[in-house]
Order: sequence, then C-alpha cells, then structure tokens
Amino acid sequence: MAGSTPDEAAVARRLLQTGPNDYAPWFDRNACTAVIADQGLPAIRSEAWKYTNVGRWYETVLEATRPVHRETVVESPEEVDVRDFSDTRAADLFGPQATFDLTRYPLAAVNGLLLGAGLAIRVPAGCQASQTVRISHLPSAYQHCLVSVEAGAAVELVEEPSPYTHRIVEAVVHEGAVLRHRRRQAGASTRECSLVAVNVATGGRYELSQLSLGADLRRNDILVTLAGDGAETALQSAWRVDGRAHLDNQVAVEHTLPGGTSRQTYRGVAAGRARAVLNGRIHIAPGAQHSDATLSTKNLLADATAEVYAKPELTIFANDVKCSHGATVGAMDEDAVHYFRSRGIDEDRARGLFVRGFLREAIDDLAVAETLGVVV
Amino acid sequence: MSLLRVDELRVDVDDKTILNGLSLAVDAGEVHAVMGPNGSGKSTFANVLAGRPGYDVTGGTIAMDGADITELAPEERSHRGLFLAFQYPVEIPGVSNMEFLKAAVDAQARIRGEDEPSAPEFIGRARDAASRLDLDVDFLKRGVNDGFSGGEKKRNEILQMLLLEPRLAVLDETDSGLDIDALQVVAAGINAFRDEGNAVVLVTHYQRLLNYVVPDRVHVLTGGRIVRSGDRSLALELEEKGYGWLDA
Ligand SMILES: Nc1ncnc2c1ncn2[C@@H]1O[C@H](COP(=O)(O)OP(=O)(O)OP(=O)(O)O)[C@@H](O)[C@H]1O
Ligand SMILES: [Mg+2]
Repeated sequence: MAGSTPDEAAVARRLLQTGPNDYAPWFDRNACTAVIADQGLPAIRSEAWKYTNVGRWYETVLEATRPVHRETVVESPEEVDVRDFSDTRAADLFGPQATFDLTRYPLAAVNGLLLGAGLAIRVPAGCQASQTVRISHLPSAYQHCLVSVEAGAAVELVEEPSPYTHRIVEAVVHEGAVLRHRRRQAGASTRECSLVAVNVATGGRYELSQLSLGADLRRNDILVTLAGDGAETALQSAWRVDGRAHLDNQVAVEHTLPGGTSRQTYRGVAAGRARAVLNGRIHIAPGAQHSDATLSTKNLLADATAEVYAKPELTIFANDVKCSHGATVGAMDEDAVHYFRSRGIDEDRARGLFVRGFLREAIDDLAVAETLGVVV
Repeated sequence: MSLLRVDELRVDVDDKTILNGLSLAVDAGEVHAVMGPNGSGKSTFANVLAGRPGYDVTGGTIAMDGADITELAPEERSHRGLFLAFQYPVEIPGVSNMEFLKAAVDAQARIRGEDEPSAPEFIGRARDAASRLDLDVDFLKRGVNDGFSGGEKKRNEILQMLLLEPRLAVLDETDSGLDIDALQVVAAGINAFRDEGNAVVLVTHYQRLLNYVVPDRVHVLTGGRIVRSGDRSLALELEEKGYGWLDA
C-alpha cells in the first residue's frame, strides 16, 4: 500500500540533508543535488511510475543496512583498462557529452549522491569481440559503470546477478565499435532499479541481451541514443516472473541522426500473481531520415492472476522512415503442450520446453536453459 | 487379448455428440484402415485415443493390452506405446525439432528404465530416420514443424514414429498432402515399422495408400460409429461407390 511507504519529499529531504558521501570526490554531485532540490523525486503513481510503486524502492533507500557484496569482483582481459572511481584518472573517461539527462532519470541523481562503487572501463581500439568484461559484484548498493568502447573496438560486457539498490551502466560506443551487453537479473527478494544509457556513434553497434527473473521490485530504464549515421542497436530481452514478482522495463530508443537501425525484441512469461511491464518507445527526431526501427513484444500469461502491460510507443518526427511494431499477450499454446505430452514428455517438462522456446525468440542462449532448469 | 480394444465409445465435443458407440479391436501384427466422410469423427476418435483435452468421454472404454487407458494422461498413453501422427501437426517455433525429439526419446528411455541415449548416439539415430524419409537433416535443426510444408510435417510425424517405436501407431491422414514420391517414402517407412509386436491404425480418405500399406481390415466410420468392416476390397468398393450406399 502506498500509504505505508515513505513519500518522495521525505526521501529528497533526507538526501539533501545528508549530502553526498566522500567516495570519488571528483565525481560531480552538484547536478544531482540540483535535480533533487529543483524538481524533487518521482511521486508515487506519477506517470513514469504508474505500474511500479516507487515508494517501496524509497523504503529500501532509507534502510540503514542493505545486502551488499563486500568487494569488487570483475574479470577483464588485459588490454581493457578498468579503474575504480577512487582513482581520479577514471574521470578522464567521461566525455563532454552525457549519455542521459538527469532531469529525465531522477533516480540516477539518488545514485549520484549515495554512490559507493564506480568503475570506468576503457576498451581501446583493437580489442576483439571475443573479449569479455564480467561484472560479478560491486561493493556498494549504489553503483556506476562507465564503459567507453573506442573506435573500431569490440567487447562483451556481462552483468551477473548481484544485489544493488541502484545501478547505472553508461556506455559510449564510438565509431565502428561494437558493444555486446549481456545482463542476467535474478534475486527474488531484491528491490532494484537500474539505468542503462548508451550512445552509439556512426557505424557503431550496441546489442543488449537481457534475461530477468523475478524480483520483489525490479525497474530497468534503458535509453539507447543512435547518435551517428548508420548506428545500430538490437535490444533483446526475455523475462520470466512468478509468485509476487514485479518487473518494469522502460525502454527508449532515440534515433537522433539519419540512417540508424533499431531492433527491439521482447518475450515475457508471467505466472502466479506476478506483474510485468514493457514500455517500449521509438523516438525518431526531426531530420533522422532513413531510420529503420522495429519493436516486437510477445507475452505469455501462464496464469490468469498474473498481469502484463505491454505498450509500444512511437514518436516520429521524420517522414522517410521505416517503423513497425507489434504487441501480443496470450496464453500458453495448449495444442503445443499436448503435442509434447503425446510424445511422452510429462506436463511440467512440456510447459518448460514451450516457455524456453518462447523466450528463445528473444535470447538464444543456453543460460535460459540453465536458469529455467530445463534439461536439454 | 487385443492390443487395442475400444468398446462402445461415446464422446461429446461442446455438448454435441460426435462418437456414438464406437467399437473396434486391433490385434498385434495388424494394420487397420479407418475411412469415412469429412466430419464423421475420425480425428475425434484419433485424438480421444491419444488423450487430447477438450473431449468429453461420456461412455465406453479404451483398453491397451487389456488395461483401461480411458482416463490416462497423454504422456502415460505414450509411455504404454501409443502414438498418434496428427492430421494437423502444430508449429512450435523456438523449440528445435532435435531438442523436442531428444526430450521425447529421453522420456521414453526413463520410463523403460534404460539409459538416455548420448547426444551423438541420438543424433545418429535421428539422422538415419530423417534420411529414410528423404528429409534433409536441416529439418532437425529447425523449429518443430516451423514453416514446414504440409508434406514435410507429415514426414516429420513418421520420423517421430520411427524414433519412438510405439506399439500402436494411429496415423491420421498421414497420406493427405503427400506427393506421389513422398507417399511411397512414407509407406516404406510404415512398412519397415510394422512387425508382429505392433499395430497400425490408418485413417485415410484414399485407397492409394492402401496399395502400399496393405491393411488387414478396413472400417467405415459414419455417424459416430463403425458401420461396416471388411477386408481391403471394402476400400476399393468405397472408392468406386462413395459412402452414400452404406446408409441404405
Ligand atoms: N473442438 C471442436 N469444437 C467443435 N466441434 C468439433 C471440435 N472438434 C471436432 N468437432 C466437430 O466434430 C465433427 C467431427 O470432426 P472430426 O475432425 O473428427 O472429423 P473427421 O472425420 O476427422 O473429418 P476430416 O475427414 O475432414 O478430417 C465435425 O463436425 C467437427 O466440426
Ligand atoms: Mg480428420
């Protein structure tokens, strides 16, 4: 119930009173303070938080103790330069242009004031796609990863499931560079919000493969800006939530310059009393001619008690573009389940096989099998 | 004891009676053909044998080897050796044919108390069955029936039959939609499958298949029951005269 959760004004007051902590003093918190002081934090039931009770997240923010891993566990290849924000040279990686606007993502300002773990990851030109940077754990509930993939370089960034209260992953994909981003999200009792903000330059490519399992509250804000001619992105996300899990995906792909291509594919399964939200926005700015954008979201309601909100949203201000979208919500295909069972596969396995096949349309990944416990 | 014995089976769909006292007995080593006009209840019968949900069995029994299976779950019937080649096999994109077949073969091995075949062993068997049916091995990698042509779907059903080696195979219009060459390939598959220990029930509209797979008995299903049974000459007679004369 909203009444039992702290309101946004109380949280904002507390944050402004306490002020920023002393981690990475070079990191600019003035903008964060200004946003919270000027516009305040999102109110419960505000438009952007229509489906998710942000008050429950505020509750977590105000809690004194949070389950957090004590040390940084990150694997990375030698040629990739990884620096903690406590190293002032990490500051050099922040370019002149922000990947997102704090006024639009005010929770990122909360992150800024409470920040306790930051990583600046520089992937130099020449780094190959087979290289992986794997983030397993960071030692604070408020985390910020900044990734810069330099011109022509390619890398895979993997986020393993690990608890946090707010995580920012910012990435700049320079000319002709490729970033493959794989996210695995799990942890039934956590309340986690995250922001992924990516700028893709001319000829660059950003791929996201995200698998989310249940959480008490999980909100993923994703913003990809195609800021160069011929920039590309493919966002593929699958989720399976059950029990009382809550998952809210708010995705925006912005074509700001001509010739960009975006592909968004979402497949979700909601069971029990879970709630899953996908708001997928395609924004094509004036002048972003020859943009090519698609969005497909398909949802399975495994139980009538589960809730799904799947909404594509288009704001198109250029006339010579290709854009298509589709959204479906349906029940499991009982004919398919029967077909499997008629071949001797028991009902649970048949449903598992079907769900896995369904999710695979978004992420073709053995991890799905492992995570869902379906035997190959 | 008959391998399959159906007694006075009555089935409603959406409160409409479709099968109305159907009886049929099939012994091991036999092939029976079931013919009948469109909408006479042949697929209903086949689906009820396989335990498909949505059919209301209001009377009668289905027994395999003397054991009543009328109430069993579809997978339990499969475990007892029942196999239905569907008239309209369902498309399941996302699940590869190979993965599906392996899950089915593994389930069967578990029931029989055998070890699940290793991946290479299984792939060898699947490729072998595919080549016997003139199916390109690429079909094993594609989604289950996903984008398969009508004839490819039918051959995929027979492929599953060859891998699962059931005791009773019910083939619902597996010959429909097959070109002449494919018909012979499928017929050869069925003939290779036949032996003294198993039985086949062929639901078909055409005498043509019966030239290749010679039935021991031919039955006519109309109005929800078997109205006439005979040897293979009955199929020839039906081909010539249609079903109208049976009403008389
Ligand atoms: N799920 C259903 N809902 C309503 N009616 C059904 C359903 N399934 C079957 N029927 C009806 O039952 C009757 C028998 O159908 P069935 O598919 O068994 O016929 P069939 O003999 O296999 O025909 P065909 O030769 O065309 O394949 C038809 O009138 C059909 O419309
Ligand atoms: Mg039929």
